[in-house]
Amino acid sequence: MDWDQFDLNPKTIAALKKADIKSVREILNLSGADLQRLMKLSSADIQCLLKTVSHTLRGSSMLTALQLYQDKDHFTSQHQRLSLGCSVLDKLLKGGIPLVGITELAGESSAGKTQISLQLCLCVQYPYQYGGLESGAVYICTEDVFPSKRLQQLIEQQHKLRADVPPEVIQKIRFGNRIFVEQAADLDTFQQCITRRLSLLLARGMARLVVIDSMAALFRCEFGPAESALKARYLQTFGAQLHSLSTRFRTPIMCINQIFHMKSMHAEMCNTSFYRVVGSRVTPALGITWSNQLLMRLMVSRASLPGHSPGAAPHCAGSTRTLSVVFAPHLPPSFCYYTVQLEGVKGIK
Amino acid sequence: MQREVGTLPLAPALRARLAAAGFQTAQELLDTGPCGLSKEIGISREEALEALQVVRQECHGHAARTAGGSGTTRKCTALELLEEEQTQGFIITFCSALDNILGGGVQLTKITEICGAPGVGKTQLCMQLAVDVQIPECLGGVAGEAVFIDTEGSFMVDRVVDMAAACVQHCHLIAEAQPEEDHRKALETFSLENILSHIYYFRCRDYTELLAQVYLLPEFLSEHSKVRLVVIDGIAFPFRHDFEDLSLRTRLLNGLAQQLIIIANDHRAAVVLTNQMTTRIGQSQSTLVPALGESWGHAATVRLIFHWDNSQRLATLYKSPSQKESTIAYHITSHGFRDVQPPAVTPSTEGTELNPRKRPRTEEEKQ
Repeated sequence: MDWDQFDLNPKTIAALKKADIKSVREILNLSGADLQRLMKLSSADIQCLLKTVSHTLRGSSMLTALQLYQDKDHFTSQHQRLSLGCSVLDKLLKGGIPLVGITELAGESSAGKTQISLQLCLCVQYPYQYGGLESGAVYICTEDVFPSKRLQQLIEQQHKLRADVPPEVIQKIRFGNRIFVEQAADLDTFQQCITRRLSLLLARGMARLVVIDSMAALFRCEFGPAESALKARYLQTFGAQLHSLSTRFRTPIMCINQIFHMKSMHAEMCNTSFYRVVGSRVTPALGITWSNQLLMRLMVSRASLPGHSPGAAPHCAGSTRTLSVVFAPHLPPSFCYYTVQLEGVKGIK
Repeated sequence: MQREVGTLPLAPALRARLAAAGFQTAQELLDTGPCGLSKEIGISREEALEALQVVRQECHGHAARTAGGSGTTRKCTALELLEEEQTQGFIITFCSALDNILGGGVQLTKITEICGAPGVGKTQLCMQLAVDVQIPECLGGVAGEAVFIDTEGSFMVDRVVDMAAACVQHCHLIAEAQPEEDHRKALETFSLENILSHIYYFRCRDYTELLAQVYLLPEFLSEHSKVRLVVIDGIAFPFRHDFEDLSLRTRLLNGLAQQLIIIANDHRAAVVLTNQMTTRIGQSQSTLVPALGESWGHAATVRLIFHWDNSQRLATLYKSPSQKESTIAYHITSHGFRDVQPPAVTPSTEGTELNPRKRPRTEEEKQ
């Protein structure tokens, strides 16, 4: 760290070099009294040092809420969302997936999680005016093999799903080329994938969506109940790294998660929060440690919610699925129905 | 800041050089900076820095004296403190049950901590408070501004817009019920754009940025003296990974708590923090407890824990110096943070002040 470029008293700069302090983080990690002892300066000098260093780190990073609200720029606006490719689903999410933060899609098996993720991988490649981000996607598989056949089907049928987009635009996009598939079956490989491959792809602008299918699979075999502290540490580290990537590159991260059905006694004993699906209680895997890392949680299920008549979809009552918002800072808890067709996931009004 | 250079307590030789170089006011000196100054008048950088420090002290000292002084120790009796506390403002939350158990609302000059599982409504309450702090005084608010420090990225401006619009509408309804001159005047400036422009948003991506931001807060609050609320949404998030050395974390958190207490006191602001929950594994069962450890529990003056009971959201006042421990239910609607059963607000109801603790103005005038 070149201390000379800071707006500091030469006496302070000399003391910093003598005390072998190399970064702003080291300065902020020490208390005022410790700094005084270490650098042998007066408390006023130390206060000045702390203020200068903080100024350099933070600069003029203040925004008012009004500026956030009026910002319509593609790259910085809070209003930008990644569309799901269906107007009904987008309406539920008030535009789509937020660009910064980890969104979780939880549900039982074959409820449609992979279908929605594949659809997102295609939607991200469309131009901004059609709800995309003009970039590719990274799909990280942790257990199953990547469903490439289904992807091909979806690519062929894009013109049918996205009737709002002119066919010339769809023709021009090379969908298959811009989806990067990574396999990571254990924790170390996953760690490598996030810290090396992912940051490289995102830094080069080649991808602006990350799908992780699924987080729970990484932790299923390796951790017994006695190692819950270690598991929590891993989850927090991954969560923080993903969050940091998402913030730096304004890239949505979609994590797929499984759910457990719980016996009611177990639920009350553990104080776990659970959700009702068809009368039985379910809870997403990975517990509260992982829930704390999320911005938004969505749940998909095969059966329609009790108490709400699925009268809107009489002809496909068997395959009606429900997409519900469990929590989000900007959305009320709500749900909508959808079906999985050949061309993709479509909401039902 | 418009002080003449000649009136500053600097060495006469230095003053002569400044005058010769064309500097007239203290503000010009501060704008130039130490490097520029040393080049302009031919003194060493060290001397320039010392001179600027003196100038800054003078200007701030002057401002502080006119504002009532801060940072110096004052002696006062308990009676004076009691009177001060009773006139202390509260920031209402629009959920009257919550305001009641808190003793009127979120109290100024105190640190309030809100803990809860994800999705229970902590960020919603923070956004609601950032809007409610701006309610004009004649309607029971503190007419202040808000600083929102976001570490998790969960501040969605669209949601704040919904809450602000609902608040403005509510205030207009109250004003219509009691048409008074100052109500009307206050509401002229209480609009959506105005509310949004007085919420100052900072995004901190890790704990170093958060620490740096808190070091800069006193200066910011001196410049924006109307700020009455500082929200840190997600104090736990940046501190719960990245720390092999937990004692460093404890030390940093304690330092942070001390700084926030000083800020709350000096600038008469309420500090609101949100915390996560973590599982503590006991003998026979596991319980959810606030994160960041036992020692962090001493940092906040008031602690609220939000939790679920089936599908009802509940708020428990867990720690408070003056109120007893109790639990109430609350609701989050499209308008924001509300009671479960909204109390009947009809135009004919007497005394429909937003803050039940504040006496209506007409009575005060009679006295």
